[in-house]
Amino acid sequence: MTGTKTRPSRKSIVILLLLLALIAGGIFSAITGGRSDTGITQLWGVIFTPDSSLPQSVLRDIRLPRTFSAALLGVNLGLAGLALQAITRNPLASPAILGINQGAALGLTLSLIIPGLTGLSPDAMAVAGAMAAGVLTFAIAGGLRGKMDSMRLILGGVAVGAFAYAIVRFSFTLDDELARSVVRWTVGDIGYIRWPQTRWLAIWALAGLLCSFVLAQRFNLMALGQASAQGLGSDPRITLLLGTILAAALAGISVSVAGPIAFVGLVVPHIARIGFGADHRILVPATALTGAALMLLADGLSKWLSAPVETPIGVIAALIGAPWFLWLTLSTKESR
Amino acid sequence: MSLRFGITLTALTLLCILASVWSISAGAVQISTAEIINTLFNLDGPKQEYIINRSRLPRTLLALVTGGALALSGAIIQALLRNPLASPKIIGINSGAALAVLLGTLFFPDIALRWLPVIAAIGAIAVAVFIFALAELRPISPARLALVGIAVGFTCDAGVDYILVTASTYEFSAPLVWLTGSLWARGWSHLNAVWPALIALSALCLLLSFRLDLIRLGAAQATGLGMNVRLERLILLGLATLLAALSVSVVGVLGFVGLMSPHIARKLVGGVHRGMLPVAMLTGMLLVVLADATGRVILPPIEVSAGILTAIFGAPFFIFILLTSRSEDET
Repeated sequence: MTGTKTRPSRKSIVILLLLLALIAGGIFSAITGGRSDTGITQLWGVIFTPDSSLPQSVLRDIRLPRTFSAALLGVNLGLAGLALQAITRNPLASPAILGINQGAALGLTLSLIIPGLTGLSPDAMAVAGAMAAGVLTFAIAGGLRGKMDSMRLILGGVAVGAFAYAIVRFSFTLDDELARSVVRWTVGDIGYIRWPQTRWLAIWALAGLLCSFVLAQRFNLMALGQASAQGLGSDPRITLLLGTILAAALAGISVSVAGPIAFVGLVVPHIARIGFGADHRILVPATALTGAALMLLADGLSKWLSAPVETPIGVIAALIGAPWFLWLTLSTKESR
Repeated sequence: MSLRFGITLTALTLLCILASVWSISAGAVQISTAEIINTLFNLDGPKQEYIINRSRLPRTLLALVTGGALALSGAIIQALLRNPLASPKIIGINSGAALAVLLGTLFFPDIALRWLPVIAAIGAIAVAVFIFALAELRPISPARLALVGIAVGFTCDAGVDYILVTASTYEFSAPLVWLTGSLWARGWSHLNAVWPALIALSALCLLLSFRLDLIRLGAAQATGLGMNVRLERLILLGLATLLAALSVSVVGVLGFVGLMSPHIARKLVGGVHRGMLPVAMLTGMLLVVLADATGRVILPPIEVSAGILTAIFGAPFFIFILLTSRSEDET
């Protein structure tokens, strides 16, 4: 490509700022809130002079896994949103809008209520539910016939999501025990995450990042239009399938760990695109970084906004993301 | 049309009565039809006064008036926006009303029940003004309008979630049930807070229904016939908004009733609003009474919110309409 001289330098500045925001957000999130007195000194202590004092163990066993999880969830959901927006060529697409998050929640709920139903683990059920919802939404939009109607995609996705979510709530009504513990989960909460879940998220984030890199060039071709992509030797249907699997896996795991967090997958790719343009080979890492930074800030906000009561991170995401979605619906062009 | 219309209307009325009787009899305690009749008409013989008078009767009546109101609201909105996908829930009115009521109870914890409908109306009108102004100000496809409405709904829902989780004390568990669209623990006080207004507004809508047919001819023709189209649209939209808002203020966000009923009515008696509107209203009544009663009998004593049931049936219905309305899409 004919690269200009100004572009790389502007990009590196943006990346630098983003990384700074990431680190600042991470520290902010790790040290603020909570009942125990932990500050920057304790954080320093955990890294350089670890001991088993109370503040340090709070930081090590509760705060840090949560902070890392927030960042990893941002990566996962951001990449899922990026993949969905690429394969549908629709700026409004995202795991929550297309019903994929709710499908995952349904799969997870089914596996919790009827444990022996399929023999799959809860995580696998979440991914399967996400996949089923995604395929259903694409089918409604006409994607299986090769021509996706952008409005119908979104409206169909919302309806699929409403349906799946109604069944989830129906299940909760039947199971009192589950219902009590689940109110916070349904809006997306990461307050109870410990290291095992964090490790699990990290594995998936890494795998998602790798797969997204592999698919980046296909996503770029998709942007040229289905016909052009085909002409350049990339079958759009395969891209659609691979992208759906990727998004369903990432969203499914995120939902099974933290509940259906909406709008992160929608907003993050848009922010990344503002800073880095439309080339997916750059957008993939950019989206991952942006997602991590945004979720860290959201996590910090969730502890700070209504302290000492914590606002679940999913609510923060919705408060930021829903107006953004509204603005997008008003500003995107009528034609596809 | 008139014979078909008469038969449909009679059949639906009968069905509504049957469903209401079933709704009164069904639940954790079964009540026989004889007992119901004895209690309602104060005859001699075995009665079940406590359960019927304290719980099931007001609840069933509430289901009837709110179901009819939501259906009328949906029918009017679909006609005025010329949008088969529209309904008070889809275009965000319901969520706006819910957010307003929640804010009201948050800031004024001891607010009297009869003020809640007023607060709900304010929230709903705010959303409605936004949506309808948008639809008036620039050409907008039906699908996009539904989309913007959904986005407005999401935004209000985010506010609702925020209030619910940050202020989740004991007093706030009641709104939680209420928000899912439930008639659980609704009694005479709720009914009394809304029924005069709902019935008056519904009657007004039925009286004005022929104006909808004129408007549907198109703005130019209607003006030619001597109508002030703008004003009439505004009045009708205001009525639709108020109907939905008042319903939401007592039974919460009961989704998809306003969407489904007009479509069912159109299938039954065709698209002429004079006939379609009363049929839609009866359909809405029937749907909500059935949803409420079904929710009670699935697994007594647990109650499944009526709103969950309407969503389980309504969402696939929405998808069906979406798939069959290709011609109206992307105009």
